[in-house]
Amino acid sequence: MTVTTTVPEQRRHGMQVRKRNGDQETVDVNKIVKAVERWVADLDEVDPLRVATKTISGLYDGATTAELDKLSIQTAAELIGEEPQYSKLAARLLAAYVDKEVRLQGVASFSQSIRYAHQQGLIGDATAAFVKRNARKLDDAVLPDNDLRFEYFGLRTVADRYLLRHPQSRLVVETPQYWLLRVACGLSQNPSEAIGFYRLMSSLAYLPSSPTLFNSGTRHTQMSSCFLVDSPKDELDSIYERYHQVAKLSKFSGGIGISWSRIRGRGALIRGTNGKSNGIVPFLKTLDAGVAAVNQGGRRKGAACVYLEPWHPDIEEFLELRDNTGEDSRRTHNLNLANWIPDEFMRRVEADGDWSLIDPSDAPELPDLFGEAFDEAYRRAEKKAVKTVKARDLYGRMMRTLAQTGNGWMTFKDRSNALSNQTGAPGNTIHLSNLCTEILEVNSDDETAVCNLGSINLGAHVSASGVDWEKLRETVRTAVVFLDRVIDINYYPSSQAAASNPRWRPVGLGLMGLQDAFFTLRLPFDSEAAISLSTRVQEEIFLTALETSASLAEEFGSHPAYAETRAAKGDLHPELWGSALGQPERWAALKLRIASHGLRNSLLIAIAPTATIASIAGCYECIEPQVSNLFKRETMSGEFMQINTYLVRELKARGLWTSAVREQIKRAEGSVQQIAELPAEVRSLFRTAWELPQRALIDLAAARAPFIDQSQSLNLFLSAPTIGKLSSMYLYGWKAGLKTSYYLRSRPATRIQQATVAILPAASHEEALACSLENPESCEACQ
Amino acid sequence: MTAVSTHQMLLDPGMDLTLRPMRYPHFFDRFKDAIKNTWTVEEVDLHSDLADLARLSPAEQHLVSRLVAFFATGDTIVANNLVLNLYQHVNSPEGRLYLSRQLFEEAVHVQFYLNLLDTYVPDLDERTAAFSAVENIPSIARKAEFCFQWIDSIYALRELRSRADRRAFLLNVICFAACIEGLFFYGAFAYVYFLRSRGLLHGLASGTNWVFRDESMHMAFAFDVVDTVRQEEPDLFDAEMEQQVRDMLADAVECEVQFAEDLLVQGVSGMSLADMREYLQHVADRRLAVLGIAPMYGSKNPFAFMELQDVQELSNFFERRVSAYQMGVSGTVSFDDEF
Repeated sequence: MTVTTTVPEQRRHGMQVRKRNGDQETVDVNKIVKAVERWVADLDEVDPLRVATKTISGLYDGATTAELDKLSIQTAAELIGEEPQYSKLAARLLAAYVDKEVRLQGVASFSQSIRYAHQQGLIGDATAAFVKRNARKLDDAVLPDNDLRFEYFGLRTVADRYLLRHPQSRLVVETPQYWLLRVACGLSQNPSEAIGFYRLMSSLAYLPSSPTLFNSGTRHTQMSSCFLVDSPKDELDSIYERYHQVAKLSKFSGGIGISWSRIRGRGALIRGTNGKSNGIVPFLKTLDAGVAAVNQGGRRKGAACVYLEPWHPDIEEFLELRDNTGEDSRRTHNLNLANWIPDEFMRRVEADGDWSLIDPSDAPELPDLFGEAFDEAYRRAEKKAVKTVKARDLYGRMMRTLAQTGNGWMTFKDRSNALSNQTGAPGNTIHLSNLCTEILEVNSDDETAVCNLGSINLGAHVSASGVDWEKLRETVRTAVVFLDRVIDINYYPSSQAAASNPRWRPVGLGLMGLQDAFFTLRLPFDSEAAISLSTRVQEEIFLTALETSASLAEEFGSHPAYAETRAAKGDLHPELWGSALGQPERWAALKLRIASHGLRNSLLIAIAPTATIASIAGCYECIEPQVSNLFKRETMSGEFMQINTYLVRELKARGLWTSAVREQIKRAEGSVQQIAELPAEVRSLFRTAWELPQRALIDLAAARAPFIDQSQSLNLFLSAPTIGKLSSMYLYGWKAGLKTSYYLRSRPATRIQQATVAILPAASHEEALACSLENPESCEACQ
Repeated sequence: MTAVSTHQMLLDPGMDLTLRPMRYPHFFDRFKDAIKNTWTVEEVDLHSDLADLARLSPAEQHLVSRLVAFFATGDTIVANNLVLNLYQHVNSPEGRLYLSRQLFEEAVHVQFYLNLLDTYVPDLDERTAAFSAVENIPSIARKAEFCFQWIDSIYALRELRSRADRRAFLLNVICFAACIEGLFFYGAFAYVYFLRSRGLLHGLASGTNWVFRDESMHMAFAFDVVDTVRQEEPDLFDAEMEQQVRDMLADAVECEVQFAEDLLVQGVSGMSLADMREYLQHVADRRLAVLGIAPMYGSKNPFAFMELQDVQELSNFFERRVSAYQMGVSGTVSFDDEF
């Protein structure tokens, strides 16, 4: 047996790299060490020599210096699981790399970057002119040190997907700070306004949603995130018009919600040809292909969610569209699915009653009705039922779909409509929610609802001593002004969208980093204090947003459809909900202002999932608990280790940040519950979403909901879902008054064998059997 | 073949048909867990990879083409051994349930890599060449020879009567778990993970992720069989066998290193041959550890990116298909379950 050991130094002695000018150069560890040392002044745990030697170990002879630079970034990033400070180091090395790329194209300032990008056809004329006029002020406003705030994952995402690129060379033409200033300039009327908004974004305390970050200031200023398309009419022309509309909306980064409830089901008569319909599935298959075909500027595939009401005759086939078995011509792998559920259905589930499936061609009025009007029409139409099922059986199938695909979101039609500001006049109905179930807006055949979004990073407004309420209010004011601004500057990809948005002027101001705030204040997610803080924050945000919208109305007038809103009758959302108010005097004063001048925006608040912008801001997503103390994110840019820095700080303070504890956490897939050295209250604070009672997430959501006039993207987490758990959970959510819910997150039954934790001795079979006995569901031995 | 109901041990010849009382419930649990992991090839979108392939450097393209050529036949070889050697000797109906399930999974993997090659290699002649890699590409042929040698080692055995027969069988099981699934596939795994950690070839990565989730279970089952046999017949596994296992793994490491030499010949930034060798030795040591054998190399894992596969994944649903869902969720509607 020969045991070979590697002697990397030998092989690497005299390794060469090719410089950008073509010259060869011997790789020098000290040079890499120096490049790293430049960035580590405030990073005491980083070891520059380690990064340098590891980088060289991965290099091959004859690599380019660009490869060397990239490898050093990658190498630093790979150490994040061991020491989170390497995330900052990797981000800074990346920022330096990007900076070099921009400078090498002859761009030395913000205004030059805009001029250069304008020449390449990337920047809109108005923004180019604005920057040219105010070049000196704007150039002086750039804060390059704010790059130091980024974590690696956030900056990588920015560099790969947000920075504008030269159309041919594909090199980035703006630095991260130029990018944010460009976004601000695209929405501003004067330089001081632009600089104020830029500073807010650059501090990562607030970020608009991705379409705004992508497109503001460019030649295609489509900055809205969400489009809600009404169901096509029950005729072929309308169906194909919708395909076209969806494609146009999708092309410019919009996420689509589309209802399909008006289309007749399988077996219904088609008078024109005297044939029978094939139902909705073949049409959805076409939609599926259409959505996948549209590439959103190379950034991602299009995405859409189809909503169906559960009385539709094809509901059972609809629930199978995402199954991974069965006939592929009846599967839609790209579409998301949601149930748009009237209360009558839930009542019958509870009462174990029958449920009638009714063809929309027999009862075309159903999609436009809600509340008692729906209940009456539905009961009348039951005489023409195509099929009768047990309500609980259908509910059980919905739960099965959620458990096996995460899809088939439960959203509640009656509650969504009854509490909406937009349904104040008869004939205005919300027919569906959007791709992420946080937007609830009326639409129709001629009007496609639009919403543009932004989210406050709550973590950036909280310190150990509490919430900085004045800072939070200031952020809300700025955010609402610029969300409102988007409505006028926005490019609308379809005429139906252009018809709706100026009339209603809805915006969706959301929140991210709630978990950061709870960690900072040491509040377990399911504590009373957490509920009251989250509710108070939401009231503050909503109240300030309404005040700002009222101010805008005083300046520019109320939105054109204001007379059709409930606010015009003096009803605001918390009252419709029947909720107590934390700040009654402010609400009373606000109502007086609204009574005299109205509101500039029909809707103001929606809590979006913030998947990408939370990564950029380096905070936890929206209102979600952490999924794990140690996990990875997978995106188009690659894989990124994410470690709970609050936990690491805690462990370091206790002298527990050791390789043994790290391995324990890794082995437990990011749980700290088995770390006996940690006191119970610390373990309780650092529970993961899988370890929290889901009831607490629903209670938190319901408690803040009075102060959300649209809705919230509420994910729920069950690692081993059963139909029993799910049916209990969603019934509870409905009764708690939730308007919508989002994904059911779940976990695989088994995992890939871990490669970097020590092998444990195999458990003896006696132990294995004992385990089974404790867990009779999985034990087959004694049955 | 006679149905023997009086047999005592897993490797006793026969065709036991009795599931109750169940003698090896842990095998049955593995069978049920495997079903929850069902996935289909249609769920994997490979077309997004084509743009990435065009972006790769020639050295990386070479790496990928060799890798998929290995995948083209790897799973078929494992399936053959399962049918020809494992199924008949593991005399437990619940164990055979698991093996039947494994066979299905190997078939899905074969289909996945078939799809992959058809997508990646549009040229028909090149495609044919890729599928005959076991004959044409020396670095792959060498690995195939290693596999065939071990398939053949017990192919002639119809029943495991003698101690020598059973030892030969154990070596075959260990070979396929530790060397072929545990080292050849695991080595390939590292290349895919390397690419994936850099955001390349999502389609390959997501399909391979599911393949390796299955492979991890196959390996665990095989080691479970070995453990079971060792408990039932402790004298089979002695110092001589330990030495045979070490020799076999050393041979496998050399096979895989010469494959790595071929893959990395043009220089891939971030993955040096020295690191790959160290990684393979490290993996071999881990396989020995599972069997309770002292490490042979004492090598450390040089690939920090492998840590990424040990932690939970969280994908943005609009970018990646999420693989975290289970099939066969059970229960009935109820309103008072805890959640």
